[in-house]
Amino acid sequence: MRLFRVSSLWAAVAAAIGAFVLLGYFLDFEFIQNIRLLFMRWAALLAAAALLVGLANLVQVHWRKLSLTDEGWIYSAVLILALLATLILALLLGPDDEVALFIVENFQLPLEAGLMALLSVTLLVAGFRLAARRRDAFSVLFLATALLVLLGTGPVLGGAEGQVMRDLRAWIAQVWSAGGARGIALGVALGATTTGLRVLLGADRPYGS
Amino acid sequence: MTAVDLQGLLLLFAFLGLMLGSAATSRRWPATFRPIAAFEALGKAIERAVEAGERVHVSLGTGSVIGPESAPAFAGLAALSRIARATSMSDRPAVVTAGDGAMAILARDTLRSSYGESGSPDLYDPTSGRLLGPTPFSYVAGLPSVLTNEGVSVHMLSGFYGFEAGLAAEFGERARAFVIGGTSEVQSQALLYAVARNPLLGEEVFASGAYLGAGELHKASLRTQDIIRIGLIVLILLGVLMATFEDLI
Repeated sequence: MRLFRVSSLWAAVAAAIGAFVLLGYFLDFEFIQNIRLLFMRWAALLAAAALLVGLANLVQVHWRKLSLTDEGWIYSAVLILALLATLILALLLGPDDEVALFIVENFQLPLEAGLMALLSVTLLVAGFRLAARRRDAFSVLFLATALLVLLGTGPVLGGAEGQVMRDLRAWIAQVWSAGGARGIALGVALGATTTGLRVLLGADRPYGS
Repeated sequence: MTAVDLQGLLLLFAFLGLMLGSAATSRRWPATFRPIAAFEALGKAIERAVEAGERVHVSLGTGSVIGPESAPAFAGLAALSRIARATSMSDRPAVVTAGDGAMAILARDTLRSSYGESGSPDLYDPTSGRLLGPTPFSYVAGLPSVLTNEGVSVHMLSGFYGFEAGLAAEFGERARAFVIGGTSEVQSQALLYAVARNPLLGEEVFASGAYLGAGELHKASLRTQDIIRIGLIVLILLGVLMATFEDLI
């Protein structure tokens, strides 16, 4: 019984705050606007604090792997050392200091750029795999469209000489692709609205019950 | 209040009324939905994972809780609630990862309450819901160790992803896991279509709760989306006709 009351209280608080923020987008009353802004500021502060909690959780996960010498424990050791070193340096010197920027520019950015490059190879492999694995009309259409857009964008057929390919690419991108994307975006908006309303109604309780 | 604000508010109340109305009349007019192969396969894959003592991994993406991109992750949390209950018989609890600290906290809360409600509170492990990395690619870089070292055989992607969606799905494929994925971003959906064995297209990512049996309001949500969608299609067609024959009217 007690559990029911506590969970209902949390649901009511979440629903009331959510309703105020939502109504603030439609109703131009000063009171509601002020309350909305206040809640939004609180949310931003809590999200920042949650990042620290998340980082503590990350250290906890990898510390456990390290102490149990689970498979891949060496990577956990590197992660904890790198995290602590970066955190201490940024706290002592500030996030805009040359040392902190050096770490971001010479470690973080090249690694992320490398993953982006890996993505292009991954997509190429996935294209071949799709042709072999899912032999239906939609997959053929998907691959043919991707190939046509790729050829129309590249320097050989999509260059100054390849007016036909460029026109074809533009026709696909601006008519079929844009139309389809708008249809999908409409469906996503409807889905997002009902998901938000379920949270407001307390039917979905991501904050636990 | 402008006319656009008023229209938005009315549309919102229409959503609310239709959802509650559909939920209230669900016994008299039960909803029937088209089968989605990916969700049917997901149910079987979860059963196999429980029987084999393997883990289910739910990825909530790289979006923030306070941003507009949080909706697919909230749908993922609703699915997680059902998945946690379904895997409560297993000795390997589900593992959840996110690219946002607050989302990781919500994932832990969802796991804790789901295991508590299914009578297996001991299964809750605070490290089962975790932040992998605060940036999109650092998040993705952390995925292989979760997928390969923790015995994951079901890899479900439900959240906001940018281009990292392709890698997130590919790491699951390489780990020979059952990969199902959906997101709100149109371009990322194309990546998931190419890479994942079971892609969720369009708003299918928001239907996971209804297809996993998360409650009547989830089914009512789908019915509401269908009704509003039909209304919008009619309005769009009317607009096209009016624009086409503007001179004649």
